[in-house]
Amino acid sequence: MMFHYLLRRLFLLGFVFVALTIFAFSLGYLFPGDVLGNFTGLRNISPAEEIVLRQQLGLDQSYWQQYIYFNQRILDGNWALSFSSQQNVLDEIINVMPATLELASYALLLSLIVGIPLGIIAAVRKDKWLDKLISGLALVGYSIPIFWWALLLIMVFSLTLGWLPTSGRLSVLYEIPTMSGFMLPDILLSQVPYREEALVDAIRHLLLPAVVLATYPTTVMIRFTRESMLDVLEQNYIKTARAKGLTRLQVLYTHGLRNALLPVTRQVGLQFSTLITLAMITEVIFSWPGIGSWLIDGIYQRNFPAIQGGLLVVSSLVIAVNMFTEILHTMLNPLARKF
Amino acid sequence: MKKLRLYYEEYNKGPFALLWKHFTQQHFAFFGFITLLLLLLLALLTPFLTPHDPYLQNSQLLLVPPSWQNSGLVSYPLGTDDLGRDLMSRLMLGTSYTFGLAILAVLGSLIVGVILGALSGMSKGVKSSVFNHLLDLALTIPSLLLAIVIVAVLGPGLLNTIWAIMLALLPQFVHGVRNAIQQQLKQDYVTAYRLDGASQRQLLLFVIFPNIWEQLVLMFTMALSTAVLDVAALGFLSIGAQSPTAEWGSMIADSLDSIYLAPWTVALPGLMIFITVLAVNLVGDGIRVAMKKRREN
Repeated sequence: MMFHYLLRRLFLLGFVFVALTIFAFSLGYLFPGDVLGNFTGLRNISPAEEIVLRQQLGLDQSYWQQYIYFNQRILDGNWALSFSSQQNVLDEIINVMPATLELASYALLLSLIVGIPLGIIAAVRKDKWLDKLISGLALVGYSIPIFWWALLLIMVFSLTLGWLPTSGRLSVLYEIPTMSGFMLPDILLSQVPYREEALVDAIRHLLLPAVVLATYPTTVMIRFTRESMLDVLEQNYIKTARAKGLTRLQVLYTHGLRNALLPVTRQVGLQFSTLITLAMITEVIFSWPGIGSWLIDGIYQRNFPAIQGGLLVVSSLVIAVNMFTEILHTMLNPLARKF
Repeated sequence: MKKLRLYYEEYNKGPFALLWKHFTQQHFAFFGFITLLLLLLLALLTPFLTPHDPYLQNSQLLLVPPSWQNSGLVSYPLGTDDLGRDLMSRLMLGTSYTFGLAILAVLGSLIVGVILGALSGMSKGVKSSVFNHLLDLALTIPSLLLAIVIVAVLGPGLLNTIWAIMLALLPQFVHGVRNAIQQQLKQDYVTAYRLDGASQRQLLLFVIFPNIWEQLVLMFTMALSTAVLDVAALGFLSIGAQSPTAEWGSMIADSLDSIYLAPWTVALPGLMIFITVLAVNLVGDGIRVAMKKRREN
């Protein structure tokens, strides 16, 4: 049964990827400018080169044939060149992606650690002042525009108090050899003498962006956990458990939490796309060298191959995370299985 | 759990009156509702209300602080920006850009979403399944990325990004409408109408829609808060509204250079966005709670 389900998901995944690549392929024609330039990223193509390239891309053949060639290039890692740097777009994305993933994963982790317990507390103390305080704060965090919130925090903590830096991942004083691209593990793995100082500096750089980025998902987690917990606490099996003589804490732990937190796994996947959008804005404000600021630069410079590549990679990532959390949710929750 | 319903009064209120009663009992939600009405009024009437021309630059009055400060002027209640434009007029005009355009975007998306959702909700089998999976794909592309792609194709501008926002909101409407319709289709009274010989179209128009419009309103408010934030964020990144436009997000971006000298030029537009989104969310939460209370009683 489970096998059948996974097979269907896999089929769906394939379908979605085909649709995504068709979309990305059609952008080569939709973007303004020369089709050849959009697909290869080359500038100032000489007439002799043009004939060869047209042959390679199959531009004189049918759209289907061109699409197949496009997919082959994607799979071979032979992506278009970036207009601005004339580097392979895939290599550039691999360079900037870890910074985004690092920031997003710390923010997500922070939102889970803070949001879920607060949501549970709010649900348990429903309509008491603690619940009102938490729910009110969550509503405020839910409504605040992220770029304005980032500017407020920068004004307080960086400009007025001078505690935290405003941009980048690490002070230029330190040089850490890149291994995984993730800053904190890289520092821990490196053999430089100023390891501890660099670590503190990296954390100081990370703190503001991570808090800014975590604000929205945290409030979503609080609100969602609270709702889900309240639903569960109304169920009959909770009353049964109480009637059998379990203490409130026991009921909460063995019957409440397990059932209430199941939908939360799914919510993480659903929020991932929003998280990436917010991460892109956060990166621009804090000059964080991730895929978000890279893409925004791409649009300022009309760097079409970069946008096309970024669309492919970011969307694939979001699709993969969505699919993974959905499968996880189905495996954990027997009620969600509709085989 | 099924509860026994007792009707004590001879005259029972209709569902909408009950909803309104539960809604107005929540003071914050009602306050948000009033704020929204005021903002809507402001967005519609702003050309007649602005005290100064929002685009008139006055080199004599650069960065005048708000009037509650000692060097402020009474005729410029919220001060001026770095080009000497009256901030209050610009903020008022910004209501019709950020808030008004967001409403239009959500309305457009809602209409298309209801049509597509109704088609998908009333149909079954492979057609509905393929359609849903295509929507899931659209749902996975982050809204900002979608906006970037659309801007790359059509060029930057406020109206072009509105398309992106509409497109990004569409899947959630279609999903929501579809789920709501399918939930209604399971109800006994729908079966009763069906046995009575109602066609699919009659079922949809006279039986299902009157029962799901509150859910539509709820979806509308949720989408509206996203739309306002998106319009402002795109303006802030100068992908959406372009520089002289008095859109709240782009006003913040324009004033970033003078953030030390004139913090109010950054703080006030942000505050407007915050108040608007907060009011929308208060109303949305209020409707949700009111619907829940009505169900319970």
